[in-house]
Amino acid sequence: MKKLFAACLFLALPTFAQSNRQPSNTQWTLDSSTLTYHITHPLHQVEGTSHAARGKGVCQAGRCDFLIAAPVKTFDSGDSNRDLHMLQVTRGAAFPIVTVRLHLPESATTAPTIDCDLEVQFAGQTAHYEHVPFQQTIQGAEHRIKGTIPATLTDFKITPPSFFTVPIKNEMPIDVDLTWHAS
Amino acid sequence: MRRRPLISRKAMQFLGTAALLLIASPALRAQSADALPEAPTPQVQAVDLAQNNGGPQQPPGTKQAGQPPSTSTEPSLSDLGLTTAQTQGSARAQALLDKRTHMLKVHQRLGLLTMIPLAATVISSASATGGHHRNGTTLVPSSTGNTAGRDLHAALGSVTVGMYAATAWYAIRAPKVPGTESRGAIRIHKALVWIHAPGMVLTPVLGAMAFKQLNSGEKVHGIASAHAAVAWVTVAAYGASIVSISWPIHLKF
Repeated sequence: MKKLFAACLFLALPTFAQSNRQPSNTQWTLDSSTLTYHITHPLHQVEGTSHAARGKGVCQAGRCDFLIAAPVKTFDSGDSNRDLHMLQVTRGAAFPIVTVRLHLPESATTAPTIDCDLEVQFAGQTAHYEHVPFQQTIQGAEHRIKGTIPATLTDFKITPPSFFTVPIKNEMPIDVDLTWHAS
Repeated sequence: MRRRPLISRKAMQFLGTAALLLIASPALRAQSADALPEAPTPQVQAVDLAQNNGGPQQPPGTKQAGQPPSTSTEPSLSDLGLTTAQTQGSARAQALLDKRTHMLKVHQRLGLLTMIPLAATVISSASATGGHHRNGTTLVPSSTGNTAGRDLHAALGSVTVGMYAATAWYAIRAPKVPGTESRGAIRIHKALVWIHAPGMVLTPVLGAMAFKQLNSGEKVHGIASAHAAVAWVTVAAYGASIVSISWPIHLKF
C-alpha cells in the first residue's frame, strides 16, 4: 500500500508541476533594423537613418524585456556636416548610445498590433512614451515590427539647431522598422 | 516501560518519500528554474519582492506603477555585444564637437553678413568706372570718371574682403573630427572655395590696378581689365556656396 502511494505521488508530482509551468524561456534577437529620425526646417526636411541597431529580448514567466540600442553616430542624413552637427546638439559624444527599453506580456509577441510603453535614453536624458502602437507582421520565424516613436527635442532637452538663424521644429518622430527572430 | 516516539513510523516514511521526491523530481527542478530568474537566488528575489511590496508606492501614472520589479534577466548593453569603449562617452570628444559647432556657427553668420558689403560693393561698382565727363554740351568718354564712387567701391570691397577672410578663418580653424569623410552638400560648398577664394584675392588686386590706372588718367588695360569679370565669377561662386550648403531646399512653413 505504501509503495503504491509513493508510486502515485511520484507520478503525480510531475503532472502538477507541468500544469503550473510558465511559458518556456524565449530569447529574441534583432536581425535587421532601420531607425529613421525626421526633422523639419522651413527650408529643409531631413531624415537620418541608422541600420546599426542591436537588440535582444528575453521572455520569462510570461513577461518579455526588450532592449534595443544604436550608436548615435551611425545615423546618416546624407550630409556629413549635418551629421556631425546632429552629434553635437544631441551630445552624442558624451552619450554615444541611444537605447529603447520595453516590457511586454509574452502574449503580445504574436499580436498584429503591439501597444508599447517605451523608455528611451538619448542625449543623457530618459523619456517615456506610453501606448505607442507598433504593427507586427509574422512571416515564418521573422517578426517584423513597424511604428513611430513620437519623440520631440524637448523630451531630451535638446536645443533646436538653427539654420540661417531659423530653428528646426520641435517634433522629431522616429520611424522604427525591426525584424526579430525568436530562439 | 517503552517510550512512544514523537513522530510515528508511518509519518516518518511519508516525509522521507516526499523529501526523496522533492530531490529527485526533475520536473520540479525545471519548474523552479522557470519560475525564478537565474540570479539572484530565489531567497534574494523573495527579499526583493518583499521590499517592493512594503516599500513606498509609486505615484499613479509613472512608468514603474503596477509593474513587476525589474530582474537581472533584462538584457543589458553588454548582452548586445557593445563594449565599454562603445558605450562610454567622452567629454573631450564632446568638447571638440562643441567647439567645432561654435566656430562653424560664427562662420555661417559671418558668411551671411559678408553678403551685405558684397552686395553694396557690386552696386557701387556702377559709379566706379571711367564714365563720361561733360565738355560743353557734349558728353566725352573719360578715363578718370567718378573718383568718389570709386573710393566708395574700393572701401566696400575692402570691407568685403576683410569679412570674407574672417569667415574663412573660422571655417579653417574649426576642429576636424578624425575619420569623417565629407558627404553631401558640404562637398559642393567646399569645392566652391576653389573658385571664390582665389577670386577674393584676385578681385581686389585687379581692382587696385584698375583704380591706379584710372586715377592716373589711363584707360583700364591689361590684366586689370579682368577685374569686373573676376569679381562677377567670385560673387556667383560665393552665392552658389551659400545656396549649396542649404541644398536641396524644400520649403515647408
